[in-house]
Amino acid sequence: MLIYRPDGAVAQDPDRSAPELAPALPVLAGSRIGILDNRKPNADVLLHRLANRLVERTGAIVVRTDTKNAALPCEDQVLGLLAEQVDLILTGTAD
Amino acid sequence: MTVDTHSDGPLIEFPANGDLVAEMADRGWGDGLPLVAPTPERVKAMLSGLNEPDGPSLDPDEIISILPPRFGEVSRQILAVNAVMAGCLPVHFPVLVAAVRALARPEVNLRGINATTHCVAPLLIVHGEIARTGGYNGGLGAFGPGNRANATTGRALRLVLLHVAGATIGAGDASTQGGPAKYGFCIAENMDASPWPTYPTTVGVNAPSSVTIYCGEAPHNVHDMESDNPSQILNKVASAMATTAQNNACISQGEYLVALCPEHAATCAEAGWSRHDVASYLFQKARLPAAELKEAFSLRAWPPWMNCLRDDELAPMTGDQKNIRVLVVGGPGKHSSVIPSWGMTRSVTVAVDQQVSC
Repeated sequence: MLIYRPDGAVAQDPDRSAPELAPALPVLAGSRIGILDNRKPNADVLLHRLANRLVERTGAIVVRTDTKNAALPCEDQVLGLLAEQVDLILTGTAD
Repeated sequence: MTVDTHSDGPLIEFPANGDLVAEMADRGWGDGLPLVAPTPERVKAMLSGLNEPDGPSLDPDEIISILPPRFGEVSRQILAVNAVMAGCLPVHFPVLVAAVRALARPEVNLRGINATTHCVAPLLIVHGEIARTGGYNGGLGAFGPGNRANATTGRALRLVLLHVAGATIGAGDASTQGGPAKYGFCIAENMDASPWPTYPTTVGVNAPSSVTIYCGEAPHNVHDMESDNPSQILNKVASAMATTAQNNACISQGEYLVALCPEHAATCAEAGWSRHDVASYLFQKARLPAAELKEAFSLRAWPPWMNCLRDDELAPMTGDQKNIRVLVVGGPGKHSSVIPSWGMTRSVTVAVDQQVSC
């Protein structure tokens, strides 16, 4: 017999208004690294360790640390500020 | 824009004597319980639950919601497929349409609800005329089991979250322990036994039928067999609210659903207390020492005034008494319940409309 699938189609994520990824940085030396801490426990530890390693290896500069609530999308205002001030953002951790 | 993820179209071949649960599970579908096969005939019958005999026919392919984290499109057709699988009757279908519209509201924050490590699940509360005509239970044993309308409508909503929203364990749902409320979480407001106006009117919804989506934990029992005055009963409700072991404890915008049983509600109303009085009292009494909360949570989503409280002062469990939502649920007996929310979510009440396009 025939039955319907229960999942349906996927819409384009309305949040993904800029679906194209930014080009990768050719070199990290001298670049400015921002940290977007989602405030989950230990996120700051991991992100700062990563940033410090990059600084040691490449001479990159950590210029900004910012925070958001882990349960909500990052505010556009915060992302806008980061976009102006840094070349690269480290984020995406949870507990 | 729609992304077609189907290589074999919306219909799939299934052996008539096969194991539907196993077949579905192989494709990552189902909740582990037996399912009703969503045949074209059954799905068509389910869709008929939206159409009045002489009314306009509604487009089954119209998209009524887009649900994260998968960003799946909920058409009436897909919703009907999941309703059939859960065992719903056509009379329940308008409730589901309203429920998925409510789920998509941004203040619900469904992406967070589905993806969090917390055990939160959307509670669907049915109000008004459709609670009666659909056979929903707001009385004895309302949270279950035993009532088809509550069980299958709640289950259908979960199947939509699993299949369409993509809230599958480990992929779109990171809940550390899961929870029984994630199988199905649906009740009716017990208006026959409530001494107060129906709940939707308190949030500005005046419709013959409506639904509320409230994303919270499973109910926390409040037991009081002996009190004959509101304050003694509500002190115990406040006690259930005032713990550091819940997500709400460090998030001042968090809501609390206080589901009073009819006897507890009657004790309050007979003493002249309105629903607003109950919420006001609980706002004052559901408090913990600020020092205890600060010690428990280094990170707190509190407004500035709460952060200024001295350690020896009491801090409320929520930042505004409007976040304490009171309604009447249950039958004879003296057991109420508190359902803390997940915190970063707001409840939503919407009208149920059987005819108007969504």
